[in-house]
Amino acid sequence: MLDILFIGLSLGSILLLVALGLAITYGAMGVINMAHGEMVMIGAYVAVLSGIWLRASLLLAIPLAFIVTALLGLLIERVVVRRLYGRLLDTLLATWGIAILLQQAVRLEFGLSFLGIHVEGLGAGLQNVAVPSYLQGTFRLASADINAYRTFIIVITAVLTLATWFILYRTAAGMQVRAIIRNPKMAAACGIDVKRINAMTFAFGSGLAGVAGVMMSGFKTVFPDMGTTMVVDGFMVVVTGGVGSLFGTILSSGLLGEINALVAIGTNDILARAVVFGVVILVILVKPSGLFSFKGR
Amino acid sequence: MLSLKDVHSYYGRSHILHGVTLNIPAGKVTSILGRNGTGKTTLLKTLMALTDRMTGEMHLLGKDIGSSPTHMRARAGIAYVPQGREIIPDFTIRENILMGTFARTDRKREIPALVPELFPYLMANLDRPGGVLSGGQQQQLAIARALAADPKVLLLDEPNEGIQPSIVEEIEKIIVQLNREIGMTIVLVEQNVAFARHAAHQFAMLEKGRVVASGAIDALSDALVHRHMAV
Repeated sequence: MLDILFIGLSLGSILLLVALGLAITYGAMGVINMAHGEMVMIGAYVAVLSGIWLRASLLLAIPLAFIVTALLGLLIERVVVRRLYGRLLDTLLATWGIAILLQQAVRLEFGLSFLGIHVEGLGAGLQNVAVPSYLQGTFRLASADINAYRTFIIVITAVLTLATWFILYRTAAGMQVRAIIRNPKMAAACGIDVKRINAMTFAFGSGLAGVAGVMMSGFKTVFPDMGTTMVVDGFMVVVTGGVGSLFGTILSSGLLGEINALVAIGTNDILARAVVFGVVILVILVKPSGLFSFKGR
Repeated sequence: MLSLKDVHSYYGRSHILHGVTLNIPAGKVTSILGRNGTGKTTLLKTLMALTDRMTGEMHLLGKDIGSSPTHMRARAGIAYVPQGREIIPDFTIRENILMGTFARTDRKREIPALVPELFPYLMANLDRPGGVLSGGQQQQLAIARALAADPKVLLLDEPNEGIQPSIVEEIEKIIVQLNREIGMTIVLVEQNVAFARHAAHQFAMLEKGRVVASGAIDALSDALVHRHMAV
């Protein structure tokens, strides 16, 4: 039983890393970023490529993926999203287009495949990432076999969640983000550069998704479409937890991860997904603003 | 100090201000008067670049700020206390005050020395959420937040609206004190003519988005009030 709960916790951890970024960008900026799942994909490919070309371990891929996806997120914000503030449906469509663009860029090896050049690690095929030996295998804890790699995922997620909490609640930059979530006009009237803070927030959220991608690459195959389901899962976590609530996002990703793991062990993965969808629909019906939404606005 | 020349302001396609020309002198209280819906609040929002669009000239201390975005106007020295106060309910009182400091150019994040002097109640409750305060206390908090920016001009939008009478007097006293003792330049949107006469040095009367009368507060005759403010 403990090992199943543990699997659920690790699934929830990945969900959390994906959803944190979405929760902040959707909460602060009112932008539905459909390309967020592609940040997971790019993060996973950073792990693949750095393994092949730099002989770097998975550990080194984590900061690398964060930097790459954060910069990419910054670029997307500057070039596209910034021009679409206050136009929710347009952001959805535009970022979906970006998502497709990024998928095809990886599949076509940034166009090099047309010239007959093949870059190892890119392309339409499946990729695998080697997990370092010290993260393989299991260890025993209270008569249950605990997977070392899943423990690693949970620890990294806990560290990043704590870091996010610290930034949001203990720094001046975080206070500006929270002020923008609550009241963007008044935040601007208090001298907060809403555009600049939004761009930084977007980049940070993208970076977290990139790290989630590195984690996923350790136990799932990596392929260009892998981000598509992630963005759906991420938004389910956000609407269940309540938009703009860090606490709600943490709890609902844990909840959905556990439900997924428990049902999947008893039956199968497909049914587990159906149950998760069912729970999310139920939550939205009963509490449309999510389990933990702040009052006001 | 703060001057407007032929300013027009819009929400979407609605044209709200029609060619407002106004001069706000330093160290004085200027009261903006008029009935509901004549553009008083819009005038303050236009000063903060919070309407959808504006045209015309706007200068603060000789510097052109007509095309500056909201946060740059705040950093240039305009602090805004909006109607309805708009404090953040789940921020602590301390956080609400410190929010104002993002407009400071010296990047100091501290509660200004004036706050304990003017609002002892807020200082004694810094870690409580802003949402638990009464309307009058929230108004004080909104003024404290504006002062935290160390502003050159303070914009107050009906600071006594929806506040229990016992606190109205206190807030009026603070506004007068800020101007007479510290020399703060204040733009005061007000419906209460008696208080405007008491606090302001000059006035501007708005009607249908235009300035229909302005001048020294002594020129605010009963006839003028009757013509433009009686309902």
